[in-house]
Amino acid sequence: MTRSRVVRWTAGAGYYGVLALVTVAALGPTLWVMLSSFKTSGQVLSDPSLLPRPFTLQGYADAFSQVHLERFVLNTALYAIGGSLGALVTAFLAAYPTARYDFRGRNVVVGAFSLALAIPVVGLATPEFFIVRELGLFDTRIGLVIFYSALFFPLSFVILRAFLVDLPVEIEEAAIVDGAGYFLLLRKIVLPLARPALATAAVIAFVGIWNEFFFANLLTGSVDHQNVQLALASFRSQFGFNVSGALAGATLVMLVPVLAFLLLQRHVVEGLTAGAVK
Amino acid sequence: MGRSIALSLLPGAALWATFFLVPLLVLVYTSLGDWGGAGFKFIGFDNFSRMFHDAVFWKAARNTGLFAAAGVLIQVPLGCLVGIILAQHIRGWRLFRAILFIPFVISGAAYALVFSLFYNPRYGLLDRALGAVGVTTDHDWLFSTNTALPAVAATFVFILGLIVVLVMAEIASIPGELYEAAEVDGASPFQRQWYITVPLLRNVLGTIVLITVLGYLALFDLVFILTKGGPDDATVTLVLYAYRAYSNSAWGYANAVGVFIVVTGLLLIVLIRRAFRIGERAL
Repeated sequence: MTRSRVVRWTAGAGYYGVLALVTVAALGPTLWVMLSSFKTSGQVLSDPSLLPRPFTLQGYADAFSQVHLERFVLNTALYAIGGSLGALVTAFLAAYPTARYDFRGRNVVVGAFSLALAIPVVGLATPEFFIVRELGLFDTRIGLVIFYSALFFPLSFVILRAFLVDLPVEIEEAAIVDGAGYFLLLRKIVLPLARPALATAAVIAFVGIWNEFFFANLLTGSVDHQNVQLALASFRSQFGFNVSGALAGATLVMLVPVLAFLLLQRHVVEGLTAGAVK
Repeated sequence: MGRSIALSLLPGAALWATFFLVPLLVLVYTSLGDWGGAGFKFIGFDNFSRMFHDAVFWKAARNTGLFAAAGVLIQVPLGCLVGIILAQHIRGWRLFRAILFIPFVISGAAYALVFSLFYNPRYGLLDRALGAVGVTTDHDWLFSTNTALPAVAATFVFILGLIVVLVMAEIASIPGELYEAAEVDGASPFQRQWYITVPLLRNVLGTIVLITVLGYLALFDLVFILTKGGPDDATVTLVLYAYRAYSNSAWGYANAVGVFIVVTGLLLIVLIRRAFRIGERAL
């Protein structure tokens, strides 16, 4: 072998060695838990081996029949879909004029909306709680939808505005010449063109809201309005007697954002890159 | 036109004002008060002086700093290394990028459940795996004061997906001629990465450090569910500390901690942006 081939072979082995190690460290425990969700509770509590023996779906049946996981899934789907829509609609309406028109105070508006991204919102827990309560929205589904719309408004705004600033203006100009008004233009021309950025912001908001724990905990009081993350946190006590049910529930809750990501991977990667660079 | 623009900005501005601006103003004002079930009384900076004299607050600040340090010193270099490797488009790079992104979209609550089982001394994988290689242990990793914090940190330092994606995007923007010229000059693959890629990553590295540090400043879900900040406050974070005060209806005090968190976050943004000269082009 020539020296350069030795170097290349060593580098290749080193690369895959590093990748194998971090992959095991990053996903090993999660995969083990997912596999364990097909074990009986007895096996989970006595035998940490990787493969279920016997293989059973009892945990999955229990997750629905005992804890009624479907109630939390429905709540969470409502929060994630409603909150993403709310964030997207408001952010799109705000991003367009700040990307296209040079009006007085525009830079102040852009700065103020973008700066909201820099605030660690969890530090605002008490004020958020009292504002939501004063608005009569505490422990209501609509309250969480509105709150999540606000929570993901700044990031959606930044992503959509970055996209619209780079969008060629000619098509809109042609429509304006044809006499289209502002909102007609927005709906018929700009909205379809902005679809890639909207998809990006939507999947990031959806996954973020699906996984949200802190404010779901802060802004709900009754079990009826809890999301899946709160349900997961209480699984350990609720399932004290049924650990395989808890693992089955956790597996299902994890799979939703993982599938959303794998299906829309390209959008997530582009959006996070754009959002981070701004 | 002006009216349409105003109308268009209105819904977003309303959300922004209601859930960012007003809470921020309320936070700052009420941090100066004794505010609890019995009402509100202005007390100046008493909450802050109490906070700075509380040993648990300093423990929370120290732990939050240690978690952030684990992120910056372990997670970030590891993510950059993997990003540099995958950016060379070795066989299977798409697959590895996708797989390594998965932990990033798994929630803190789910992660907490995974690791409460993984670390369990009786039926967890970790102690059994250690047993299999001859280290017999039934150590309770999460409930011993000396291992709880590293055990919690170890759950998230391998979440590399976002860092990998950002590093790869930045490398993709480096002109290929630079590498070709270096190869012609006889630079080894390692030298090419070390002398070309690494210096040009400064900008994105700053962004990554910023995102990482701000993420750990807000760390709550995982520790709240996994350890409740224990044992003996060994894993309590700033947000968890504020949450405890909030739960005890010490709202003014909780908001003083909140002000500390927000101000720290803004200071860190300024400092990190300056340290990495973010915004100035590297090339």
